[in-house]
Amino acid sequence: MNANVPVAALAAVLMAALLCGCTRQPAPAPAQPATPPAVRYESHLAAGGLLPPGAVLRNPHAGDVAVAKSGAQLFNAMNCDGCHGEDASGNWAPNLGDGRWRYGGADAEVFSSIYYGRPKGMPAFGGVLGAEGVWTLVTYLRSLAPPPNIPTESWQEPP
Amino acid sequence: MSRAAQFAQVAALAAIAVQAVAAADGQWSMPAKDYAATRYSDLTQITAQNAKGLHPLWTFSTGVLGGHEGQPLVVGDTMYVVTPWPNVLYAFDLAHEGYPLRWKYRPEVSSNAIGAACCDTVNRGAFYLDGKLIYNLLDGHTVAVDARSGRELWKSQIADLGSGETTTMAPLVVGERVIVGAAGGEFGIYGWLKALDLNSGRTLWNVHNMGPDADMHVNAATFRPFYDHGADLGTRSWGNDSWKTGGAPVWGWMAYDPQLDLIYYGTGNAAPYNPEQRPGDNKWSSSVLARRPADGALVWAYQFTPHDSWDYDATGAMVIADLSIAGKPVKALVHFDKNGFAYTFDRSNGQLLVAQPFVPVTWAQGVDLATGRPRLDPSKQTGVSKGNVKGICPSLEGGVSPASPPAYSPRTHLFYTSTNNLCMDYEAAHANYLKGTPYMGINSPYNPGPGGYLGSFIAWDAASGRKVWEAKEAYPTWSGALVTAGDVAFYGTLDGWFKSVDARSGRELSRFKVGSGVVGNPITFRAPDGKQYVAVYAGLGGDWALLSGDIRSDDPSDVRAPADYMKDIARHTSQGGMIWIFGL
Repeated sequence: MNANVPVAALAAVLMAALLCGCTRQPAPAPAQPATPPAVRYESHLAAGGLLPPGAVLRNPHAGDVAVAKSGAQLFNAMNCDGCHGEDASGNWAPNLGDGRWRYGGADAEVFSSIYYGRPKGMPAFGGVLGAEGVWTLVTYLRSLAPPPNIPTESWQEPP
Repeated sequence: MSRAAQFAQVAALAAIAVQAVAAADGQWSMPAKDYAATRYSDLTQITAQNAKGLHPLWTFSTGVLGGHEGQPLVVGDTMYVVTPWPNVLYAFDLAHEGYPLRWKYRPEVSSNAIGAACCDTVNRGAFYLDGKLIYNLLDGHTVAVDARSGRELWKSQIADLGSGETTTMAPLVVGERVIVGAAGGEFGIYGWLKALDLNSGRTLWNVHNMGPDADMHVNAATFRPFYDHGADLGTRSWGNDSWKTGGAPVWGWMAYDPQLDLIYYGTGNAAPYNPEQRPGDNKWSSSVLARRPADGALVWAYQFTPHDSWDYDATGAMVIADLSIAGKPVKALVHFDKNGFAYTFDRSNGQLLVAQPFVPVTWAQGVDLATGRPRLDPSKQTGVSKGNVKGICPSLEGGVSPASPPAYSPRTHLFYTSTNNLCMDYEAAHANYLKGTPYMGINSPYNPGPGGYLGSFIAWDAASGRKVWEAKEAYPTWSGALVTAGDVAFYGTLDGWFKSVDARSGRELSRFKVGSGVVGNPITFRAPDGKQYVAVYAGLGGDWALLSGDIRSDDPSDVRAPADYMKDIARHTSQGGMIWIFGL
């Protein structure tokens, strides 16, 4: 398969196949108030202690196990596994299932990372997947259960 | 005289002049020391007798944590160092105590390159010629910097980051041609090589490693491969037009023979990793190509791993050496491949003379010199229909990494190289091409190779295809090699030991624990004080930034579990870029 021509078609087919029977209603577009357009990061510091208003983005599929399963397939089909590893366990880009987030782990923050991309090389997938596809990925990633601890000291000899 | 012939003559004279200068004055002006890519220095102050007295005399933190592959350059009384992304260029004044900076060049370079680089944000170094330093920025640009002032002379976009092309290799400058290529075998790029004008950065020619003959600069008058014949090999050997996204990147090392007027370089893996999506040999992925620098015309090519099914890039160094094989003088080209075989060619025509394994190999039983083809073990063929194929040696880290170039001593007639002793299982999956995202399709866990060690540093007789000695290491060995006329060879280990060994016996002469694992290439030079020194980078990274476990402490969102085949590497080292200089 070659180049750009089939990409949109591929995405459409994938989305149709993956979401057929999974959604209870037509996917709602995320709320997009005119002002302000950006997602607010709850972890950011605020000058004067006053948080600016932020866009309200709600995951229409939050907690939906069937959508999460579709998202797992979409994760591989969109080559997310190439950078982020099998089962999102990390490769040259970070693990997305360990509960540690560079750009925030709330649904809206993860949506924003995937939809618009990030400046360390995370591509924007909003163009090829649309909001519904990105929410499907968010639902999958948020379904991953973080391990209790990453064993970084496993060189210790047993007593 | 034609322009091309005129160019060739000038280039040849320049090459001889540079080689002579580099050999006589203790400098290190190009990545591999000379156009033959020998990494051999004729300095003799440090010898096998006194090397036990080597100790560190100076260090400098580059302030960058990515894997420090590549090597410093020393020209006159200045040492030049290129860092991994963000590709800072430092110029150190070797004439003053403490080696203070003369200047520092900070290029503009996109942070998006971090994510598009498959295997850490490495840079393999600069090339010095005519008062200019030429090197690649990770985001697909080549720059020329004035060696005296640090001023940028030109900057050219050569690669498309949006397609997954990044630029990690060191350029080779031949005459007024700056030869460059791009990485991206994991993104399904259409692999290429370009020549830029040394004075302007303008592209002079652009050739592809596969595709139609016109794209490859193949014409019947000049293209004479020893084993393969016919038109459009670069499309006919790729089923389903898969050449268009077939990879074959260029991210390793190059050599140049001024007498034959040929440049030699290797190409990387075919994309995707699932070979069933690209039926055929996939020429010229995993190959060595010999081209004319004047116009890029392909003269000969040889494919080490036809229909690559194991990610066996052939981007490792191609070393020019005049050897005696069975009593006959041979203009040889020697290459240690990721696929585990070491190859010796006649570099004038690409005829394969010797091919023997230098590490444990299971994917092939040998290489047929008459046909040039590997004798495959069919049980190690991979692809979606084959399921999980186990016990493939070497692993896709390679019998040696292409990032770890060998050295050749004309005194011992031996080659010196790091090795990895790892095997792998390989489970291919169907890959979808989506521009700017990985085009891979693989799960490939590694296992230790036989023998209870994971790497080594070896001496190799390329005339007979025989290992002469081997110094075994606890971890995969990922540094380049250096050898000197004092008959001392140098290398570093993944856990951070910098070592010198007797080039004739392999006996260890000195060791020092540097600040981080060594994945760079040692060099030697004579400083303005008249003394011989050895310089090397510490700075664990490259593939081992991904695979070593918790060796990164600057990012709380990136905490990695240890690899199950070397659980304790993070006990011994962590990231950190430093330049080390050793002396007596």
